[in-house]
Amino acid sequence: MAMNRHLRAICVVLLLAGACLAFQRRGRLPFLDDDDLPEPYPTDAAEKTEWVFARLRYNSYRQGAGMWGVRGSWSTDYPKAERHFAQGIRRLSRVHVRSVEEVVDLDTDKIFDYPWIYGVEVGHWDLTDSQAAKLREYLNRGGFLMVDDFHGTIEWEIFMRSMSRVFPDRPVVDIPNKDAIFHMLFDLEDRIQIPGIVMFYTGNTYEQDGVKEKWGGIYDEKGRIVVAMCHNMDLGDAWEHADMPQYPERYTSMAYRIGLNYIIYSMTH
Amino acid sequence: MFESLFLYPYRLFTKGEFLFASGWPVWLLVFVSLALVAAVGYLVFKQHGDNLKGRRWIAIAALQGVVLCLVLFMLWRPALRVTALKPQQNVIAVVVDDSRSMLLKQEDLSRIESAKQLLTGGLLDKMKSRFQVRVYRAGENLERIQTLDAVTGNQNTTHLGGSMKQMMEESASLPIGAVVLLSDGSDNSGGMEAETLGEIRRRRIPIHTVGFGAEKLSKDIEVIDLDVPLRALSDSRIGAAVTFRHYGYKGQKAKIGLMADDKIVSSREVALGEDGTPQTETLLFNAGLAGARNVKASVVKLPDEENASNNAQTRLINVESLKPRILYVEGEPKWDFKFIRRALEGDRNLQLTTMLRTTQNKIYRQGVEDPKELEQGFPVKEEDLFKFSGLMIGGIEASWFTPQQQAMIKNFADRRGGGVMFLAGRGALSDGGWAASSVAEMIPVSLTDRKGTFHRDPATAELTEAGRDSLIVRIEEDPKRNEDRWKKLPFMANYQETGPAKPGATVLVDALPTSKGRHPLLVTQRYGRGRSVVFASSGTWRWQMSQDVKDLSHELFWQQGLRWLVTETPPQISAAPSKQLLLDDGNVEFRADVRDKAYNPVSAATVEARILGPGGVSAMLTLTPDANQAGIFTSKWDAPKAGSYIVEVLAKNGKEEMGRDVFTMIRQDGVAESFHAEQNRQLLEGLSRQTGGNYYTPATAKSLPDDIAYSEAGITTRETKELWNMPALLMALFGAKAAEWLLRRRWGAV
Repeated sequence: MAMNRHLRAICVVLLLAGACLAFQRRGRLPFLDDDDLPEPYPTDAAEKTEWVFARLRYNSYRQGAGMWGVRGSWSTDYPKAERHFAQGIRRLSRVHVRSVEEVVDLDTDKIFDYPWIYGVEVGHWDLTDSQAAKLREYLNRGGFLMVDDFHGTIEWEIFMRSMSRVFPDRPVVDIPNKDAIFHMLFDLEDRIQIPGIVMFYTGNTYEQDGVKEKWGGIYDEKGRIVVAMCHNMDLGDAWEHADMPQYPERYTSMAYRIGLNYIIYSMTH
Repeated sequence: MFESLFLYPYRLFTKGEFLFASGWPVWLLVFVSLALVAAVGYLVFKQHGDNLKGRRWIAIAALQGVVLCLVLFMLWRPALRVTALKPQQNVIAVVVDDSRSMLLKQEDLSRIESAKQLLTGGLLDKMKSRFQVRVYRAGENLERIQTLDAVTGNQNTTHLGGSMKQMMEESASLPIGAVVLLSDGSDNSGGMEAETLGEIRRRRIPIHTVGFGAEKLSKDIEVIDLDVPLRALSDSRIGAAVTFRHYGYKGQKAKIGLMADDKIVSSREVALGEDGTPQTETLLFNAGLAGARNVKASVVKLPDEENASNNAQTRLINVESLKPRILYVEGEPKWDFKFIRRALEGDRNLQLTTMLRTTQNKIYRQGVEDPKELEQGFPVKEEDLFKFSGLMIGGIEASWFTPQQQAMIKNFADRRGGGVMFLAGRGALSDGGWAASSVAEMIPVSLTDRKGTFHRDPATAELTEAGRDSLIVRIEEDPKRNEDRWKKLPFMANYQETGPAKPGATVLVDALPTSKGRHPLLVTQRYGRGRSVVFASSGTWRWQMSQDVKDLSHELFWQQGLRWLVTETPPQISAAPSKQLLLDDGNVEFRADVRDKAYNPVSAATVEARILGPGGVSAMLTLTPDANQAGIFTSKWDAPKAGSYIVEVLAKNGKEEMGRDVFTMIRQDGVAESFHAEQNRQLLEGLSRQTGGNYYTPATAKSLPDDIAYSEAGITTRETKELWNMPALLMALFGAKAAEWLLRRRWGAV
């Protein structure tokens, strides 16, 4: 009987210890925990504006296997990245911006009310044929897609599996420095790779084998960029952690400038 | 009937002078008449005043008075004094219209055959028995003929005024007693000149006209007019307004076709409305490449049509390879800015230069000709702004412009003749302080004084009645389909309250917010030499993003609207002919408006016109300055041959070329005769009335030889025609006496 009691006590202790261990995030840096604290919801969230940060919600590759849980990779950095960025746009330009974002997907026509959309972690997206067709129609009508935060060869290939079904006939090219998109509000000929917070763990500004940043784009038949890709970079993190003292300011500044140039470009070309 | 009662024809009474042949004074007649009437009244009253009831004696006295007055009137010998032609001493000119319209048949007899039949059926002989008769045929000129066989109807034109003028000149020494004109009144020269009419009236020569042909054709359709612009931008959509009228085909269908350089470019089947009522249909077509374009509108011949040669009209359009520039200034990044730019990228003939205020101090320029252009911001010199043909002012505050720049914006339309469009936005119209600016007077709406007029709420666009007829908002060729298409357009992302349209402005489209209300959306007006427009939304981008990529509503709307904005913007040197279509007459006046770079009129210039025409026609003219209008130069010229002409007008200031302009014109011979082929009775009657003659139909022309005799022209004699023995007077006399006798019998006063 006493043996059983000891056994039960040991089991309870082990269980509690296991639970404690389970709640421990190994290697998590303390300042990142502070960064996750929720921010107050903007009071002017209902303002009607010309431009809204429209985040693309998509199905993730092998999402059914539980790789990204129930939410999917589309929501990475959500919503802090866009809300920080919206404040930056307000401060640095005359674009009339809503303080909060809008989530859009390729299953309804709501996307056509937002001529600029942002897709994050697109190295995990997996568009159906109808979604690819809708994205093609959206871009052909005059929409603009900015994709970000995907790294290395494998994620590029996954991205291209869907993208090549959107535009089978349009190649992805490196946007030349002289292109207007790098000279809209800021002259950005000297760009740097913008890392995510993973650099705090690895010490590198890149992830996986994506050592070199790629400023890719797809042009339409009139020579206008309709899809802008920030491959091997994570501008979303730079926006999200703009208020974190540990995140280097130069990356955030560059991310804001790139984002603003892309927005102004999409509103002028 | 008239003659049997009054002895002489009615026309004699209208021409003659009334008098009393006795020579006794008229006052005496009046005095004696009054005295007799009074005496008769007294006697009747005295004799019958008691035995006649009431005032019956007055009736008896009146009738007796009438008898006595009539007798007195006859004793005074009333007469008419008329001026009459002396027999065989005067010449009567018989003029027969020899133009092609006289060949039109009515009841198997052409108008010319009817005229000949009338003349040879006794009219000519009757005139010859009393006068010397000379016969002429009238076409482009007047020509004397010996026999009526020379009248064949082979003349391409009728210049009645010119013919009469020639007649006056050639017969100055002849005793012309009257002119008899046999015609259908189809005149191609626009009537008679006042000078010729004055000469005819001075010589008191009456023109008697005999009208031939039906005043209304029973089965005919005629293209009355084809209205196309004189010039157009290459590859632009042009509207050709075809106006036609028919007789006898009400409710039937007709097919209208439009050809450009002999290629069918548009056609439509239309239902024909009321007889004789002009109908207008607008056909749209692409102007094509630069060059002179021959445009012909025609209606396919209908069954049993009497005159098919009036079923088509031709015009010439000068299609120019210009690429007018539009400057668009926008106060903040907005989606419409991008989509308007995109819409115009598909337009090879418009060049859009944009200035976008991306931050408070940064302007992003697109479409500049060189990196330095507009580098310092909005132009501060008129010559820099006036390089553009159109100006669009988006959501940017009035205070962003200096007072001098605001004055330049007004002058851009007023003096330069450009088009200025005001768009909606947070900093636009009333919200941008434009209501209190000096520019407000050129804005086609009365802006409200309050702020908060820009709403980011959905609104649909609806054509107004004027919009349904306007080509500016025609995104579908067929008006009905166009209206339907506007109804199906997705809602706009925003709208702005503007206030009411100003008097003289036209509202083409209304904005209907989904909440409630109605506001002017697209309003246009003329302003000085140019035009101004308000488009009170910056949310048309939804027309592009919410419709299939193949739908071109958004592109067409902006392309057409902005082309309209600049198409009529004149260049520094603008020239035009007084009429672009010369019908049988080559006389034309060229007019050039010469301006400097700030578009101030320049009179100290040398202006020359170089003309190239059909069959090697080539000429060089110098235009002379108009003493009354600064910067206007004119010159007259006679286009010698039928065909198309290209005229290049070049202005120089010393040796420096100021600019040049090119226009086209076309001369058509023998075509006008086919139009308005019904008898122009109004013209013939007017001609007779103004010269003291009479209008006759072939049926009433029998009395013409007698009427001709009473004329004040030629060699005349004065005749006195006694009237005392008119049957009408005797009948009145006996009638009055008989009435008196009957009344007295009835009232017992015999």
